[in-house]
Amino acid sequence: MNITGPRGRSFITRRRLMQGGAAAFGLAATSRAWAQSDDKVVSLLSWPGHGAQDVIGDFAKSTGLKVQAKEYTGGEEMMALLQSSPPGTYDVVLSDAEYVSQLQAAGLIDELNPSDYPLDDYWPQFQQFPANFVDGKLHGIMVSFGFLGLVYNSAVLSREEVESYAILSSEKVKGKVGMYDWYLPNMMCLSLAEGNRPPHDIDAAKFDTLKKGLFDLAPQMSGIGAWSSVFSQLTNKESLVMPGVGAWAALLLEQGGVPIKSIVPKEGGLQWTEMLTIAASSKRKDAAVRLVQYLTSPEGQIREATKSAYWASMPNKKAWALLNEKNPKAAERLEHQLDKRNVMDEYKDGKIFVRDVPKQQPIEDWNEAWTEFKNM
Amino acid sequence: MAQHAQYSDKESVPPASRGKASRQEASRVFALAMALPMAVWQCVFFVAALAFLAVMAFWSVQNFRVVPDFTFANWVKMFSAGYFQQTYLRTFGYGAMAAAISSVLAFPCAYGIAFKLPRQAQRLVVACLIIPYFTSYLVRTFAWKILLTDNGVINAVLGWVGLGPFSMMSNLFAVMIGYLTLIFPIVILLQYFSLANIDRRLIEAAHNLRCGAFSTVFRVVIPSAKIGLILAATFAFILSFGDFVSPSFLGNNKPPTLSILMVDAVKSGSQWPRAAVVALSMIATLVAVAFLAMSTAYSREGRR
Amino acid sequence: MRAAGLVTWILRAYVCLALLFVFAPIITSFIYSFDASRYAAFPWGGFSTQWYGEALADPAVASSFRNTVIVALLSASLATAIGFAAAYTDYRYKFFGKNAYLALALLPPTIPAIILGLAMLVFLSRVSLSGGLHSIIISHVVYAIPFAMALVRLRLSQMPADLEAVAWNLGAGQWLTLRSVILPFTLPAILAALFLTMAVSFDEYAIAWFVSGFSETLPVHILILLQREVSPKVNVIGSVAFIISMTLIVVAQIILFARAPAKTRGRSFKTGS
Repeated sequence: MNITGPRGRSFITRRRLMQGGAAAFGLAATSRAWAQSDDKVVSLLSWPGHGAQDVIGDFAKSTGLKVQAKEYTGGEEMMALLQSSPPGTYDVVLSDAEYVSQLQAAGLIDELNPSDYPLDDYWPQFQQFPANFVDGKLHGIMVSFGFLGLVYNSAVLSREEVESYAILSSEKVKGKVGMYDWYLPNMMCLSLAEGNRPPHDIDAAKFDTLKKGLFDLAPQMSGIGAWSSVFSQLTNKESLVMPGVGAWAALLLEQGGVPIKSIVPKEGGLQWTEMLTIAASSKRKDAAVRLVQYLTSPEGQIREATKSAYWASMPNKKAWALLNEKNPKAAERLEHQLDKRNVMDEYKDGKIFVRDVPKQQPIEDWNEAWTEFKNM
Repeated sequence: MAQHAQYSDKESVPPASRGKASRQEASRVFALAMALPMAVWQCVFFVAALAFLAVMAFWSVQNFRVVPDFTFANWVKMFSAGYFQQTYLRTFGYGAMAAAISSVLAFPCAYGIAFKLPRQAQRLVVACLIIPYFTSYLVRTFAWKILLTDNGVINAVLGWVGLGPFSMMSNLFAVMIGYLTLIFPIVILLQYFSLANIDRRLIEAAHNLRCGAFSTVFRVVIPSAKIGLILAATFAFILSFGDFVSPSFLGNNKPPTLSILMVDAVKSGSQWPRAAVVALSMIATLVAVAFLAMSTAYSREGRR
Repeated sequence: MRAAGLVTWILRAYVCLALLFVFAPIITSFIYSFDASRYAAFPWGGFSTQWYGEALADPAVASSFRNTVIVALLSASLATAIGFAAAYTDYRYKFFGKNAYLALALLPPTIPAIILGLAMLVFLSRVSLSGGLHSIIISHVVYAIPFAMALVRLRLSQMPADLEAVAWNLGAGQWLTLRSVILPFTLPAILAALFLTMAVSFDEYAIAWFVSGFSETLPVHILILLQREVSPKVNVIGSVAFIISMTLIVVAQIILFARAPAKTRGRSFKTGS
């Protein structure tokens, strides 16, 4: 006796097969639906920490917009993420200044309307900051900046010892030099140390010298870590000195009780500059504009300046006033006091070069040298 | 021989072969319903993904964008690059080292659990070795950082007895600790399961024949547990060879391993095709190693 | 006899040492989740629950936890169902290409997760299936099927050879036999497979990291935290997740032991010789 008839059986079978086959697509549809049901979203591609609660918490509360962020830790990674994501994935892209023209050339970002943003409140130097414009048209708004040189353990090294990049090859820090895993800031600082001005515009011979200088540092190295390792290596004294890093890390560490200071050595330092841009493929441009407006407003700026991922200087002068009023301690540490010597004076001293991508070699060549260096 | 018989003489007669045509038909449907889901899922998602990866290894990159192409440039580039060759050898060496260290360190432990602990305790220890897999490997790696640094817990303890400080981070030692965190429990478990399955009478027989404790281990226990021991070592190799976390967070990316090289290729220039080349080389290596290991494990020559 | 006793104790001590190694990071992480200072060092910076407050109040942690649970439940159920069917196929049938079939079933875990992630991302984004929870679920099923299959297959190999045949001879069809004989017999393995695949999914970061887009799971969130900052939150998340999964295991054990006692005890499945 057969309890289940053939019809019943094949029914079960078909149902099972259909269940199995449709499962993936059903899932896809459901999860799509979840994602899209949420129209009050604005997505951000940025360096770490910009999408965290301490920066955009108030923005989310007051506008009802949820910020979803994807993070990168290097300009090329940003380009890679943008180019391999479907159009419309990101609304706002926080980019380093030197990549804005590439973004524009690839048709990835929109032209901006200057009257939407508080450019008039910015320091004069930054109102007409070259990277804001491509072909004279506004494509990015500066949101934060800082200087890169050396950071060092001030309990072990004196300020005199770190006044020159020469410290990196000294016996005292053998095996104790750390670097952050991105060719650009490190190799540009070393290029400054070689006397190249500007550091990114060097010919083949100088590039070879630079490579040799880099490779010679291999025995000095302790590690070339991810972003976070800048903090951990300096904290555990695995690294006593790091090039290509600046106040962004030192201030945070100092606040955490670790004796780390930053310095722009006599050979000069770099300025890193972050710009906000709006993705051309964004489907939520209004929300994107509102997020950019918030982050460039005094309220947003002071959040950016003291965020938990890293500290930064602010281009908006009104934000300086607000920070001095609300958090004078932070203003002092950031050297943002309007009545004292501050970061803008350092800017005027002429030791600072705005960081840029290599001009005479393809980026790939520099990257390759970096890969080789890591392998030593 | 006993273990072998269990698997092979199992082919009973399905009912349909004795029935009518409709029954045969139903039986076919049944068989397909059981067999197909896995085959379909793995073909559609796994095989297709790997095949696409293989195709992509011949594509090129323009302005950070991957474009279809048919070029061997990625292969030539990677295989001729000194850093790729060195990294390949290094990663292979790391994997082999991790497999060897974990096997050697795990064996006394697995042996101890299997032969020197009462039943109840065995169960408890096995449970304890499974528990780590319910915690995040990432978190455990992060914790090792706290323990291993120059002013970390271990160096502090060593400092009390006047030793150190030892440099235990960002070097081979740290990377191996990371690998062991990942593989040690599973190696012990696999070894233990194969040891526990050894027929005790074999060991008693060896003792009766006045075989010493050590030579019993080497001449009876290890050969009997050969399959499990090789399987454990292979697992250890596979997991460490492809691990990204330990060399990256504990080794601090310097020197890199293949998985770091792969991620770097994508990060530093959207070089998905080159990453694909690295990935395919890794897969080829793993398949070769797994095949070699399995044919050694199941070779007849070892059994007498 | 003396020497043998000594060896026994040395080996037992060694087992304890091995367990210490295995648990050292787990305990450390737990202890340092209560450390007041941000940058963990020795000795402690003092007792504090500050990081618990921060981690538990963080909406990113909450949403990634929710995502993890959804992904783990769905991918474990799918993988166990598919793995069960495949295991039965391997147990019951002999057919042309069976070796290829088994290779297909068992290969995914031998591919490093990071490669699988890379492959999945490039493939899924080509067919517009990347960047969501479904992408993670699809990939985790691929990765977890072999574990489920292996566990069920192991159990099936312990099944008395004639059990199924008896059911057929009594006239039960294959579906009925499956439901009333095979399923009950393999139930412990099925439950174990569910737990194991859930655990695999729960801790998987590499594949999810590649394919998840904005839908971070908890392990991906931890990975990003690790890369981004030095934060004791990692210890908090790890400790809480650990406590949750341990509670689940203990509850599951209690349920299983309450159900199973007489059924499996003392049965010997030795066949042949």
